[in-house]
Amino acid sequence: MISGARLGKLSGLRRLVATAISRDLTTFVIPGPDIARAHGLDLAAAGLQIVASPRHASVLLVVGDIPLALHDAATVIYAQMVRPRALFILGTEIFSSLPDADIMSRLSQDGLIDGVQQLRTAFAEGAFRLDVADFDAPALQIRIEYTCSMHPEIALNEPGSCPKCGMTLIIRETQASTGRAHTKQKNVDVSVDEQMATGNEHNAHHHMSDAAKVEFTCPMHPEVVQDAPGSCPRCGMNLEPRETKTEHTHDHSQMNHDAAVQYTCPMHPEVVQDGPGSCPRCGMNLEPREITESETNEHSGMDHDSTDHSDMDHGDMAFMSMIDVTKNLPRSTDGLPMEWTEAPFGPFFPGLPGGLMLTLTLDGDTVADSKTQPLFENKELLPQVSPDIVNFIQQITRFGPLSPVAFQLLACQALENAAGLEISANVASARIGALEQERIANHLGWLALFAQQTGFNWLQRRAASLQLKFCLADMQQIATLAADIQSLIKRLGKTPLLKSRTVGIGKLASDSNLRGPVARASGVANDVRSTDKNYIALGFEAVSQTQGDAYARLQVRLAEIIHSLKLIQVSGAIERPTPADTGEISATGEASVETPRGMAHLELTLQKGQVIAARLETPSTYHLDLIKPLTEQQALADALVAIGSLDLSPWEVQSREIQT
Amino acid sequence: MTTTIILLLLVFGVYLVAVLEAWISSGRFRLTTPILSGIALLGRESIVPRKPDRIFFEVAPVLLLLSAVLAATVIPLMPGLIITDLATGALFINAALVYVLVAMLMAGWGPDGAYAMVGGWRFLGQLIAYAMLIVMPITAVVMRAESLLTTQIVVSQDGLWNIFYQPLGFVLFFIAAMALAFLPPFDLPTATGELAGGVEAEYSGVRLAVFRLGRLTLIITLASATVVFYLGGWQGPWLPPWAWSGIKILAVTVTMLLAGRLMPRISETDLLAWCWKLGIPLALLNIFLVGILVLVIP
Amino acid sequence: MTAQMFFIAFFGLAAVWFGIAVFRTYSMVRSALALLFSQTALGAMFLSMQAEFLGVLQIMMMATEMSIMAIFMVMFMMDPGGLSTMDMIHQKRLSLLAGIVSFLAAVGVAVFVDWGPVEMIAPDPAQQTIALGLELLGRSMLIFETAGITILTSMIAAISVAIQPVKQNTVPTITGSNHHEH
Repeated sequence: MISGARLGKLSGLRRLVATAISRDLTTFVIPGPDIARAHGLDLAAAGLQIVASPRHASVLLVVGDIPLALHDAATVIYAQMVRPRALFILGTEIFSSLPDADIMSRLSQDGLIDGVQQLRTAFAEGAFRLDVADFDAPALQIRIEYTCSMHPEIALNEPGSCPKCGMTLIIRETQASTGRAHTKQKNVDVSVDEQMATGNEHNAHHHMSDAAKVEFTCPMHPEVVQDAPGSCPRCGMNLEPRETKTEHTHDHSQMNHDAAVQYTCPMHPEVVQDGPGSCPRCGMNLEPREITESETNEHSGMDHDSTDHSDMDHGDMAFMSMIDVTKNLPRSTDGLPMEWTEAPFGPFFPGLPGGLMLTLTLDGDTVADSKTQPLFENKELLPQVSPDIVNFIQQITRFGPLSPVAFQLLACQALENAAGLEISANVASARIGALEQERIANHLGWLALFAQQTGFNWLQRRAASLQLKFCLADMQQIATLAADIQSLIKRLGKTPLLKSRTVGIGKLASDSNLRGPVARASGVANDVRSTDKNYIALGFEAVSQTQGDAYARLQVRLAEIIHSLKLIQVSGAIERPTPADTGEISATGEASVETPRGMAHLELTLQKGQVIAARLETPSTYHLDLIKPLTEQQALADALVAIGSLDLSPWEVQSREIQT
Repeated sequence: MTTTIILLLLVFGVYLVAVLEAWISSGRFRLTTPILSGIALLGRESIVPRKPDRIFFEVAPVLLLLSAVLAATVIPLMPGLIITDLATGALFINAALVYVLVAMLMAGWGPDGAYAMVGGWRFLGQLIAYAMLIVMPITAVVMRAESLLTTQIVVSQDGLWNIFYQPLGFVLFFIAAMALAFLPPFDLPTATGELAGGVEAEYSGVRLAVFRLGRLTLIITLASATVVFYLGGWQGPWLPPWAWSGIKILAVTVTMLLAGRLMPRISETDLLAWCWKLGIPLALLNIFLVGILVLVIP
Repeated sequence: MTAQMFFIAFFGLAAVWFGIAVFRTYSMVRSALALLFSQTALGAMFLSMQAEFLGVLQIMMMATEMSIMAIFMVMFMMDPGGLSTMDMIHQKRLSLLAGIVSFLAAVGVAVFVDWGPVEMIAPDPAQQTIALGLELLGRSMLIFETAGITILTSMIAAISVAIQPVKQNTVPTITGSNHHEH
């Protein structure tokens, strides 16, 4: 039985369809296939087909823990899926914003295969049901608000006229929960959408100048000029200030309205009224129209400048020059003013790291602005810190679901530093083996994600399968896999189009704040390992490039893979770090470890064997701030490649230092 | 009668392309995959986005399918096995295939979503790149055949196929055909990693099935067009003509599907730059060379 | 004979209907695509008049051209989605006048020009193509070559006028010493 069944009786043709669906399990993975691979799950081998859009998926696969910030997004993804749909959760508790899990299983390949079996039966038997309930959640509530198509920042709760230009307000839907019309916490920009996405609004920045002597003119009718602010007699829009040019006097505020005068809308000439007011169709102020030429003197009290009215067609607007109207719109570097669309590119966007909450404002195909949010708020970082050392280490590894070994090593080394323990060279070199193994697995995973982003199907499959095998490999398997990895790297060097896709994109200057491969690609030789005696004993060499673009980062990571293979070979053993028994000590310790993404630094304070304070610095915290300058005014494809080349792990990003 | 035969063969061809594509992208060869996923698609809900341009949203997949099928009506699989042997057949193929662009624009604009919109307009940029590279090699082919009839084009390759007579035209046409069918590395409108499915993202259920069917039909139609223009159609020794057509179309399809696996997606700027700065001069050169050859060789 | 007349009438009316739809809708893209289908109907009309090459050519060219017009309309016009139902028609009297004058001129040309002797049966399409080719490279070569060169020149001129020098972005750093302001 699945809760997301489709309405219908399961008989005959529908039974066939249900069987077909159960054999064709299209899946959308949360938080992302990269996280699933990091946990060692081979989804294709289990029979699940990963799709790019929740609209094409029938199974929502949740892998591991989802932080609170992403719950809304997960709800929206579930709501976007088509029925029949099922929720398949691995290794975590169910959470309130989604319906009950249809299948739950443990977070391992066996658990996945078992779960898929159960899923198939559930679909074959429960894809159609006669009693289906609608799915609703607070995150999906919409609020109707009214906005002006020329001034999207106006948002009122009732229909009416725009206070800035007088046009009728149009309906727009926004998320009720956040109350902020411009942010969307979901992945794919589907059903809950603002009208802005079709581009019927302009960010018309009408700049007010502070010149003392200004005139007021209509942006649509440059010939209408007046000394005081007011409304344009032709279209009713508010007049804007302009430099003085000529002397005209217009004063419509004291019009005496004669019964013989008719009022019409310049845009809707069929609307004719006897008295002044607003056009019922567009809300603009009605303009008086002279009935015949000979009745001009009936408009007593109206001060018309003769050059403006008598030789113009009445009821006709003068030619609206688009150049004038769009003069003040923000323009991108290629000079075209296109409408701005805000689209979410996270947190579950296929091709970007899972969990990255990113919103891009697109100016056509160019990125005009970007906004990111960290996943964890300051206070959440070590929520229930259980000061016990073992639990503390577990908490720390939560920050690196993609590189748990590195964080474990970080915690162990910090503890040993606090306790003043020395690690034997054998244990140290075995630990290095484990860390380097994880580094290779991470870089392969990054390659697979990069390949998915750039549509490079062969590389994606190859890198993903190598990553999965490498994670669990022992020394002999590593030796055989090394040859495969070498041939992959060689083949990458001969791939056409790869260079043109990455060279010159995402260029970063050398900056001492950079970490990891990103830094080394820009010529900044930041590497913790170059000063570590154990590494030096194994013959470590740092790699570096100077270009600082996405291609350089790719090269650095490939070179690091090769070097890490050599280090593992020399060290000869792989052993995960385990904390030594330090007893009831009170001390402070610190350690730095070169995680696959860069240097992570941990300082902790122990008191009687309990951790009372800790401070963690991770590389992605710095790199998240790079997204904005890197993507500014880039074409969308280039911007995404630049973001991908940073190899961010949103799970380790922190807003500030943490204190327990 | 011929119409039904050809349409049935088209359906069979579409099925083969689906099987091949699934095999190439996932490594598993299963004959039942396309049938199962087709039935599954038809059984899923067909959701309409909240504020679509309804006409465009509905018409786009149908137009895609229609334009591919129309282009296939002038392709001869055997002497006599052609739905309509239009006197302007070679031009008609191109005329029908232009509506793929119209369908993609509708599919991009219709759903009122950012990803679809970017995908749709990107395809227009792609058209500007590939459009000349389809028409100019066809011109050179027609020059050799001295006729726009597709059957005449095949007959004119008796003895020496166009792939050897005008290899430059073949390469350009092949690349442009892949770009028209938005196959990787030219899959800009439906970029999975960049646009979450792009133009396809908002479609579900029946409409998605029609869209995908249209796309597969487009691939097989383009492969058939390549075979007719450059690979001598049904000509070949020992085997009957329809077998040769089938083998050649299959070979071209496999090549088109395989080529894209091995490269990342091309960027729009590069595509436009290379097609206009390199492709069109080469196409003009091709026409010039073919002109000389046609005059010199009796 | 009657079937042909029926189709010509049908496609002609379709062309007129789509043409009216261009101005009845508020959405820019619908406008552009309505014009596209109006031209397609014209091409179909040519096909029913047995002018095969002309019909196919019209269908092919107009689809590409109108689609490019669609993107230009989206780029340059306000409200491409048409959701604020603002009336975008201007200069009504002038355009009405121009329309009537051109209609009368077209009807006049159609009726009063001597088009030569009437062929009772349209020639074979292949024959038509050959005759068209001979005409293009014979009597009308000067016209078409001039037109071709003129179009090419205007393309190049338009591109050179439209290119704006792109500001070179300096390489960004984390400290954010580079802020672009619009």
